[in-house]
Amino acid sequence: MDCCGGIDDHDDDCTDVKVKDSIDQETVEAAKALESENYSAGFVTDIEMDMAPKGLSEDTIRFISAKKEEPEWLLEWRLAAYKRWLTMEEPTWAMVDYPTIDYQDYYYYAAPKTGAKYESIDDVPKEILETYEKLGIPLREAEVLLGVEGAAESAAAARETPRVAVDAVFDSVSVATTFRKELEKAGVIFMSISEAVHEYPELVKKYLGTVVPQSDNFFATLNSAVFSDGTFVYVPKGVRCPMELSTYFRMNAENTGQFERTLIVCDEGAYVSYLEGCTAPMRDENQLHAAVVELVALEDAEIKYSTVQNWWPGDENGKGGIYNFVTKRGDCRGDRSKISWTQVETGSAVTWKYPSCILRGDDSVGEFYSIAVTNGRQQADTGTKMIHLGKRTRSRIISKGISAGKSNNTYRGLVSINRKADKARNFTQCDSLLIGDRCGAHTVPYVENRRADAQLEHEATTTKLSDDQMFYVRQRGIGEEEAVALLVNGFVREVLQELPMEFAVEAQSLLKVSLEGSVG
Amino acid sequence: MTTALRDLIANPNAAELELVARYGMQPEDVRRERLFGAFAQSGLPNRRMEAWKWTDFKAALTTLDRPSTASVEDPIPYDGALVFKFTPTGFEAPADLPNGLSVFEKGEAQALGAAEDVPMGALAASLAGEKSRPATVLLEVTSSDLPRLHFQFSGAGEASFARIVIVVRPGMAVTVSESHLGGAGLEASVIEFGLQKNASAVRTIYQRGSREEAVASTALVHLDAEAQYTQTTLSFGAKLARLETRVTHQEPSASVTLNAAYLVGKGLHTDITTHVRHGANSCVTRQLTKGAVLDGGTGVFQGKFFVPRTAGQYTDADMQHKALLLEDGAVVFAKPELEIYADDVECAHGNTCGALDDNQLFYMRQRGIPEKTARALLTQAFVAEALEEAGELEELLRGEAEAWLGAA
Repeated sequence: MDCCGGIDDHDDDCTDVKVKDSIDQETVEAAKALESENYSAGFVTDIEMDMAPKGLSEDTIRFISAKKEEPEWLLEWRLAAYKRWLTMEEPTWAMVDYPTIDYQDYYYYAAPKTGAKYESIDDVPKEILETYEKLGIPLREAEVLLGVEGAAESAAAARETPRVAVDAVFDSVSVATTFRKELEKAGVIFMSISEAVHEYPELVKKYLGTVVPQSDNFFATLNSAVFSDGTFVYVPKGVRCPMELSTYFRMNAENTGQFERTLIVCDEGAYVSYLEGCTAPMRDENQLHAAVVELVALEDAEIKYSTVQNWWPGDENGKGGIYNFVTKRGDCRGDRSKISWTQVETGSAVTWKYPSCILRGDDSVGEFYSIAVTNGRQQADTGTKMIHLGKRTRSRIISKGISAGKSNNTYRGLVSINRKADKARNFTQCDSLLIGDRCGAHTVPYVENRRADAQLEHEATTTKLSDDQMFYVRQRGIGEEEAVALLVNGFVREVLQELPMEFAVEAQSLLKVSLEGSVG
Repeated sequence: MTTALRDLIANPNAAELELVARYGMQPEDVRRERLFGAFAQSGLPNRRMEAWKWTDFKAALTTLDRPSTASVEDPIPYDGALVFKFTPTGFEAPADLPNGLSVFEKGEAQALGAAEDVPMGALAASLAGEKSRPATVLLEVTSSDLPRLHFQFSGAGEASFARIVIVVRPGMAVTVSESHLGGAGLEASVIEFGLQKNASAVRTIYQRGSREEAVASTALVHLDAEAQYTQTTLSFGAKLARLETRVTHQEPSASVTLNAAYLVGKGLHTDITTHVRHGANSCVTRQLTKGAVLDGGTGVFQGKFFVPRTAGQYTDADMQHKALLLEDGAVVFAKPELEIYADDVECAHGNTCGALDDNQLFYMRQRGIPEKTARALLTQAFVAEALEEAGELEELLRGEAEAWLGAA
């Protein structure tokens, strides 16, 4: 008898999962490659840390604010958020299940004792250097990554090297930001948000909290109170950012939470492509990650935001792992602006994340492309919201969920067409695939339409992708299934190839994934 | 009213207090207490509850009043049917029953499975015994040659409650029609189908109400092996109309068709909610819902397929919702949901929302058909697809839909 056939959940020693015949073997292997035992970023960096006292109180917030020498207005802003947070309740509507979090059991601030920024590569603690090396970044690139003076210029001179500026966030502080000078020449501001508060207070004040307000939701409010570091980007009018920008988040210290806050503003006609990567050590406790990302695109601006989320997912029995409770939202504030979210989700024990677009400007465009793979006991509840407010706004949602092991993977999305959104258009496609019979795949799409001339389509059948494209490919003699794979995976490949090498490791293996045999 | 009763519902509004008072007038009964308790847990369902976020009874029903509008006439013919009438004040059953049908009018309340999931159904079940009407009307079908059973809900009053249980014995078939015609401020009913091995039922629901009436119809359907259930709904809405169907495939190879059409005019609201549990291997569900909404109307569709681990293997299910917003100011909310724990299943779902296809309109107009007629024809054809499984009543429902579209 097949040992996996039982209903009960206790057949833990049974490792061979029976997979339905129609599922592509490469897909099964690609998913297996992402199991926690293969997690390569799970090491711990042993470095002396400067920590805030454990727990959360007004004092913790004052401590963080003081550490960062913040202006009074920001401290007040944090405290207001904290007061609000005390009155809020943790949301329970997502299809995830985890033990009650004791918010007093975390450290809300942890930074390497030696400080945040370094003048020379010799000053950078060996441990941090090694951390980045181990994460697969060659030393020379690591020099660039660590923002050592001079390295940036030499790297910039070598035109053939990949031109990606990186902000490296280690626990609660940004340790380095590369290519700053090069970017400054183009007028692009790229620095940690803590620095931006001092150097560009007016810009930060003008945009902070305008997309995700302090009181937005439980986790965003917590973030507003205790956010430690993150990235600030401002691309001025008409500037096409000369290189990819990226942030590499590393959670290292024990029992800490990471609460970064990223704010990206693209002024009229500007363009920026931003990448985000995350990893954390294997630990037995659950660590909390509650980030907020705010994007603002003014007239004719375009922001492309890509994430490779690979936080420690916990072991195969669900011990440890990151709770990834993130609020990401983009505001297409100007006419003809565009925000595009791409996410590759393979990590975290629990994910609660809905990168969204508020399509306020006329003719603005929102896009959401997601591949989420869950293994072991991972739980992901992720999706997007497309809020159509402006005229002729368009949005596209493509979501692929793959569940394996005993995991649960939920797509949850909202498409909302406001009364004034003349001729809005949305296309949604979400497919789920189950590998084995002990996991779950769920789809919860919400549609709210208040316009007669809106056109909304939600399809689970991949053949609806685009009749014209399909026709084009098929008339060249390519079979339907293959054509769909080509068209769907085509864009995925395109996106993944643009990721910088240090993020692409997990992403590359996903290229093998096919949605053949999906359940709906 | 005792204090304990008053405290049953947290922060009650006047309508809820009235419901509590009505409950208090009933004879004490443990099962009724459980039923009312299941309702009282939430009180009148409201937008803070996920399953009711678009259909808020608490906001719409602040008091229980007799509407100024009367019931509409029943379009479904009585000829050759066995007619059961439920009004706010009474109940009427056919005098003569054919062989193969037994009717039991139960005075005491009966337990209702998972009552907490259907608060309005629990309310209906707990108050159905009011005014010396039966708390449960139980029908047992032991023949396949019965005339159609027709249930009519109408008549003036503040509130009307009913509970019907239909058991179809193995291999038997029955045809059921239902008319919810308005007249009461609140009409809440719960109807349960127990379809035994290889039994079948065809059910048609017609609902029409005014801007002063709230309607909550709850159906619970259980299917044994190879049983078949086909349901067609035509709803024109009311101030609030919630037509909810919860289906459980509890043995293998059962099949279900759940179709609905909603046509909603100004100031009206229709909510088609379904939940299908594929609790056994190789069950089939086909679901098609079509809607057309005018300025000031609201259409809601919430569908869910639940496929449990192992038990739900080889499920074959398809859910489609398509809505036309005929005018600006129309509103459609939809949530086609899948929850799947079995890997060898087919669960498709689709949802579209928009205006008529310009190409189709152009095609018809270039052949000399005036725009207004072309629109009406296309809308009729669009809606008609959802009524195709209504059997002997298909034509009648299509006629009703066409009349509405013609007037709109």
